[in-house]
Amino acid sequence: MKKIVLLMLLAVMISSAKNSEIRIKELYSPNYPIITFRVMIETGSINDPKGKEGLNALTILMLAQGGTKELTYKEIQEKLYPWAARINYQFDKEVSVIIGEVHRDHLEKFYKIFSDLILNPRFDEQDFKRNKDLLLNYIKATIRSGNDEELGKQALVWFIYENHPYNSPEFGTVQGLNNITLEDVKNFYKKHFTQGNIVFGIAGGYPKKLIQKIKRDFAKLPPGKPEQVKLPEPEKINGLEFLLIEKETRSTAISFGFPISINRSHKDFYSLMIANSYFGEHRTFNGILMQKIRGQRGLNYGDYSYIEHFVQDGGSTFPVPNIPRRQQYFSVWIRPVENKNRHFVLRQAIRELEILVKKGLSKEDFESTREFLLNYSKLWVQTLNRRLGYMMDSDWYGIEYFIDKIQKELPKLTVDDVNNAIRKYLNFENIKIVAVTKDAKSYMDDLISNKPSPITYVSPVAQSILDEDKIIQEYKLNAKPESFKIIPVDEVFEK
Amino acid sequence: MQKMKKLVILLMLSILNLAISQNKIFPFKINKVVLENGLTVLSVPFDSPGIIAYYTVVRAGSRNEVEPGKSGFAHFFEHMMFRGTDKYPEQVYNDILKRLGADSNAFTTADWTAYHIVASSDALETIIDIESDRFMNLKYTVEQFKTEAGAILGEYNKSASSPFLSIYEKLQDLAFTTHTYKHTTIGFLKDILDMPNQYDYSLQFFDRYYRPENCAIVVVGDFDQNKLIELVKKYYGSWKRGGYKPDIPVEPPQTEEKVGHIAWKGKTLPYLAIAYHVPEFSTKNIERASIDFISELLFSKTAPLYQKLVIEKQWVDFIQGEAPDRRDPFLFVILARIKRNDLIDSVKNEIFNAIEELKTKPVSKERLEQVKSYLKYSFAMSLDNPNSVAYIVGHYFQLTGDPESVNELYSLYEKVTPQDIMRAVQKYFTKENRTIVTLTEEEK
Repeated sequence: MKKIVLLMLLAVMISSAKNSEIRIKELYSPNYPIITFRVMIETGSINDPKGKEGLNALTILMLAQGGTKELTYKEIQEKLYPWAARINYQFDKEVSVIIGEVHRDHLEKFYKIFSDLILNPRFDEQDFKRNKDLLLNYIKATIRSGNDEELGKQALVWFIYENHPYNSPEFGTVQGLNNITLEDVKNFYKKHFTQGNIVFGIAGGYPKKLIQKIKRDFAKLPPGKPEQVKLPEPEKINGLEFLLIEKETRSTAISFGFPISINRSHKDFYSLMIANSYFGEHRTFNGILMQKIRGQRGLNYGDYSYIEHFVQDGGSTFPVPNIPRRQQYFSVWIRPVENKNRHFVLRQAIRELEILVKKGLSKEDFESTREFLLNYSKLWVQTLNRRLGYMMDSDWYGIEYFIDKIQKELPKLTVDDVNNAIRKYLNFENIKIVAVTKDAKSYMDDLISNKPSPITYVSPVAQSILDEDKIIQEYKLNAKPESFKIIPVDEVFEK
Repeated sequence: MQKMKKLVILLMLSILNLAISQNKIFPFKINKVVLENGLTVLSVPFDSPGIIAYYTVVRAGSRNEVEPGKSGFAHFFEHMMFRGTDKYPEQVYNDILKRLGADSNAFTTADWTAYHIVASSDALETIIDIESDRFMNLKYTVEQFKTEAGAILGEYNKSASSPFLSIYEKLQDLAFTTHTYKHTTIGFLKDILDMPNQYDYSLQFFDRYYRPENCAIVVVGDFDQNKLIELVKKYYGSWKRGGYKPDIPVEPPQTEEKVGHIAWKGKTLPYLAIAYHVPEFSTKNIERASIDFISELLFSKTAPLYQKLVIEKQWVDFIQGEAPDRRDPFLFVILARIKRNDLIDSVKNEIFNAIEELKTKPVSKERLEQVKSYLKYSFAMSLDNPNSVAYIVGHYFQLTGDPESVNELYSLYEKVTPQDIMRAVQKYFTKENRTIVTLTEEEK
């Protein structure tokens, strides 16, 4: 009984006011003292003009990390500080989000600042310089120089979507960012910040009258919605295609994958979800990749796979919400391995993918993985903020609440559904592979030659593992000289 | 358990009604029961219908690595805890967690190691069963041990592409001569490479620290307290007390400034790190509480120094500075990423100038109140899910043995005056007490 009453309090609705096209997504929880805003704008790096890659990201930063007509960035920081209120942002390929969190003691004042940032941005020249530097340094210092794994993952997306609107990185390119002027930002804002292009998400114990105010305030934006960028099919991958990033580094970070033609709105996605969890559930020991590469052989710290773009939420195991994409990709993330094992590990991971595609899951593995996901997916929404994000994504995909949909779809599936989906959407022959490594040329030569790549152990391991190693070390990869690109790290995301 | 499939996750609908001005910053009641063998059980009912967070807190971290050549062991040991027992071998343990759909992992810091699970409430007994079993009956072979050493090296390698690991390694190595805070939690690379040969030491490490009097169980969320205590007694009751007391060497005072440099292979922006020795975590020492205020006064987004370096001059793209809570005296570490090599000295001087100003000019009452407000609201906003609450309870327990120290700390913050802050800066932020490390691109 208690639960039913609580459920009724958790009123969820989309409301549209007269004269306002602004869509509002509410997650009302009257006693919850922290209020979250998630303002989703349907604009992403796909909207970046050619030669100005990074314009969307910089525009979002100029709002979330800028000033209002009334207040400078500095003055805003001073106001927010004693409340410990936060304003964060995300930008992706298709949507961007500006996120506000505040204790309800300060809601009214906070809302004024937060909404002004979006409705009446300052577009200050100094803020522009600082935010542009932030993005440039993210490319030049953070990912190129300081995080080989992130570099590998981002470069994979860049490589998979050559000659496609998704090619432009969501944070821009060095040349693109350098070409952008403050005037470009203002024009981009004018074009994309329209009523029809925004969903205002709100969660917590806010006063209901705030909803009317949001509708009124956001009706000041121009009406309508810019036309959505059309997405062509991603280019076909021919065999194994390699992008090797030459870098002075003590280990090799590998990511590989290929586009898949479905997302959360397709029923087969739920079959693939089971297959993927069995193969490489993020940051767990459940996956085959993790068990065989790290668990049995200690070759690295972790090995995972994905069927949609994945960004980890802080130190948790779960993805951030609000990075929906019409087109998704399958990927495998091999965390850094010693350079001497880089050939072996790639053979092993692709061979495991072949086994998955050819043999599928056993009935037992299917059952246990499904049970895992049915329970685990409930943990993805432990805060109202995350729950609101998932609700908004579900609307974006045009599906019912994703967490509920998982509960509905998974029990209907059979092991054959899953194995059919694997054969239909996954493959082990046409893959794009990125490695961040030292002496890339010698890696290329090894791969092309298909020479044996035995590994050694510091202690005896089970005979069954050694027997399997013998097969892996000879496993033939169809690596052709013409399918390699080697680029120095400085050229990644340069243009 | 078909009905559990319908378990609806209704999120924290009523309890989190925090009154910010009340005396206790931590708004929930913490139940504390100590078993006869010394195991502490801390539990907090929290409105997360159908969900619990379950932490096992071990009061041992890289601080406990007292023998030479054994750095990184606490963290290595955390990995070994997933290698199974006779009753629940590794694969069986994983399969059980998988069936539960639990979110499970572990982490190690300088002072503590935590094993944490978030799962549905009806998994409580299963969790207590498998967790108590591995803490009491862990068993692994030399081969498993050596294989896992490879994963540790992999973990080191994944972090080694970032300048941060190198900076902290250098900073701690220089700043400490004696105390085990000389090494980072992952350990010296040479010790990591030697790990495969340290099987016997690993058994000793388990025997010393994985004992009930050195641990706590923290449960937060939707559970029945009587049932919890009954289950904990049933499963952990036979865990035998230990008696080991580590002799952790005391760091003598630093008497002169230390300086180090790292020439980074590959492209990088320059980094500057400055560290000052400061006292250990305390709920009584007003100087230590004042140091947390200094962090805010110098490095929060509204601090004049931050504004000058990040917003106005735009010489750095990030700067931060704080003293983490530690059981023994550690460091206040300032870290900045600078936009050009030729600005390193200017940034350094601006930081020193801001510190000198705090020594002579008392902070205004208004500013002090803003910091106090920030600390309170920031804490309140972190209590939004059972996992975070369990982490906080575990954190304060490992520091002092009593999670109520969180309330004592925030009461102490209330008492901090502008004079306390001035005295703390004068005493600890001195030239002879500091260590400076810079990192720049290697010149070719």
